[in-house]
Amino acid sequence: MTGRLLRSRGARKFRRNRLAMAALGVILLYFATAVFLFFGGVSMEATKERVAPKHTPGFFQTPDLDQRLAFAMHFISEVDSATRLASRRDQHPHDILVEKALAERRPARLEPQRYDELLDEAFGILEEELDLVDNIADHPELEPRVERVEEIAAAFFPMPTGWEGRAYWSRTFLGSDAAGQSISIRAIYSIKVAFQIGLITSVISVLFGSLLGAAAAFFGGWVDHAITWVFSTLSSIPYLVLLSVLIVVFFGTIFDDPERPFLSLVPIYVAFCSTFWIGPCRVIRGETMKIKELEYVQAATAIGFGRVYILLKHVIPNTAHLMFINFSLLFIGAIKSEVILSFLGLGVKGQASWGIMIRDAKDEVASYFFWQIGAATFLMFVLVLAFNIFTDALQDAFDPRHVD
Amino acid sequence: MALMEVRNLVKRFPVRGGVLNRVIGHVHAVSDVSFDVHKGETLGVVGESGCGKSTLGKMLIRLIEPTSGTIRYEGKDITTLDHVELMPFRRTMQIIFQDPYSSLNPRLTVRSLLREAIAFHRIVPRAEMDEYITNLIRKVGLRADAADKFPHEFSGGQRQRIGIARALATRPEFIVADEPVSALDVSIQAQVLNLLMDLKDEFGLTLVFISHDLKVIQHFCDRVMVMYLGRAVEMMPCLDLDEQARHPYSKALLGANPIDDPSDRRPLTILQGDVPSPFNVPKGCPFTGRCPEVIDRCREEMPPAVSHSDGHLVACWVASEGVAECQRGA
Repeated sequence: MTGRLLRSRGARKFRRNRLAMAALGVILLYFATAVFLFFGGVSMEATKERVAPKHTPGFFQTPDLDQRLAFAMHFISEVDSATRLASRRDQHPHDILVEKALAERRPARLEPQRYDELLDEAFGILEEELDLVDNIADHPELEPRVERVEEIAAAFFPMPTGWEGRAYWSRTFLGSDAAGQSISIRAIYSIKVAFQIGLITSVISVLFGSLLGAAAAFFGGWVDHAITWVFSTLSSIPYLVLLSVLIVVFFGTIFDDPERPFLSLVPIYVAFCSTFWIGPCRVIRGETMKIKELEYVQAATAIGFGRVYILLKHVIPNTAHLMFINFSLLFIGAIKSEVILSFLGLGVKGQASWGIMIRDAKDEVASYFFWQIGAATFLMFVLVLAFNIFTDALQDAFDPRHVD
Repeated sequence: MALMEVRNLVKRFPVRGGVLNRVIGHVHAVSDVSFDVHKGETLGVVGESGCGKSTLGKMLIRLIEPTSGTIRYEGKDITTLDHVELMPFRRTMQIIFQDPYSSLNPRLTVRSLLREAIAFHRIVPRAEMDEYITNLIRKVGLRADAADKFPHEFSGGQRQRIGIARALATRPEFIVADEPVSALDVSIQAQVLNLLMDLKDEFGLTLVFISHDLKVIQHFCDRVMVMYLGRAVEMMPCLDLDEQARHPYSKALLGANPIDDPSDRRPLTILQGDVPSPFNVPKGCPFTGRCPEVIDRCREEMPPAVSHSDGHLVACWVASEGVAECQRGA
């Protein structure tokens, strides 16, 4: 079956379409990432870990002096409170500071008196030279002083080097969000959530919808009436309403527990599957109406095969091209819906999702902080675009009416 | 005894319409057709498009359920059998379709579509399957390596041969050939017809050969039944067709047949008017609107089938005038 498909005329036509092949490459890359993430490539804890002071900008923008000072001060004030606590408890400040490590950026172990020296110097600069200035960003001549404060901060929390440095860079190159969490990690991790929802809902919807659609058209009579009635009734309910109802139904059960990220998606699966199957059902029903009149179906009847056998062996396999196209349409539809729902707060809970990132980024955009919304929309945009190109090419390649 | 006896066969398709989708009338596809098919013969059924000949052919093997009438196969009425009881007849009665493109499932190789039928009826043991399939494919004039190809890899004529192989796979005795060569080029038509003739002799088949082409029927069949608007209007041996045809419609059909001899000129009767809609069949003989010899009686009463000579039945008031005993034919 697979081999046949790859050798078919449609597949050859698809392979000649370079744009489509590029889109397929992008999709496969995403898919590989999703698989990697699914098998624990990045743990969920990593998406919640603090990796930098809040709102650290990404690699595109150099922070102004004001911001640089604020980021340096983040580390200095951590050290300040740690040394106070340490002297009261008679501990080495390092023992308290290890708790404050930001991923690979860990505190250096200094002589206890060295902490005080450096802190004194830092506060000296701050209080005597910088405190009187209104807006440090307007005073480039003060840059050497800010740099000195940064050096002190780096003395307390040195930048990791080597492999650790690269790992740290990969966490911070897109900056951090309001909770100091890595935007790059969260954006990438969202691929897994998106694919999980996209794949599960589209596979179930297409299989279920196609089977019902084919059965409706093939058997006709009351089967057709019943199935048509169900999908016309269901399609009048917007899935947003359905999902809200389901969330109420599942409220307080194990499907409402942010600690169980997989189960907490079940309301979304149920809502999506119960509305998404209608599309493939309609399409396959129409196609089956056409196929069941064809002579090879009559030939199968003349041989004496049962109706169910004919449906499964002779009718449904000939609707496979439509199932593929519907699958890729629904896949992208499910991902987009998931993002919208998460944005509204009805969707994913307890784990990263592009929708949640965009929601979190609402207020940041006003202060020129674009990394969060940028990363989430970019990854989603590329995936949706690749899938749209892919679907178009599939349609062109496998639709028998498109003959070149 | 006849292999198949068809009596008063009727097929009406309901037409639905209106807001409530109620039955508002019927299309009379086949009306009161009776005939016999003798063992080993080829019965041609000829008529223009929409005259019900395909519906008739499909009813004979129960692909379409008749509205009324009986079909007896070897004395057994097959119109009332259910799916299970019909199984042995499904094996013995097969069909060859008109369109070689839509008659083969594009997703099955030749081998799998033949094996499906053979295994279903347990024609040969599993071990002999491959050999049986290879033989079958050779018999219909294809190379053995065709077995593992898909239908789209063949030409129309080759596909029709595959369709014939499928019909033969269950070792049938009775085959309905529903315009098997109409969709093929003339050069291929002759090949497929000759193949059918050879296979008929080899397997001892009985054929009902449906066609709209009198030339093909004359070449191929023993007897011919002419149909017009769902009714059998004339039935006679093929050999006499040119000289003995009595029904005005049969004569018009023969007249429309091109003759490959320029010196042989006959008066040409070109029919006027259109075939009446099968949805709204006129009273009396359906041919009245176009018949050059129409008399008043034709418009009132459907003429009965009258035996003109042995095996020659005509349903026409004018043609049957003077035939001494107006006995109702079978």
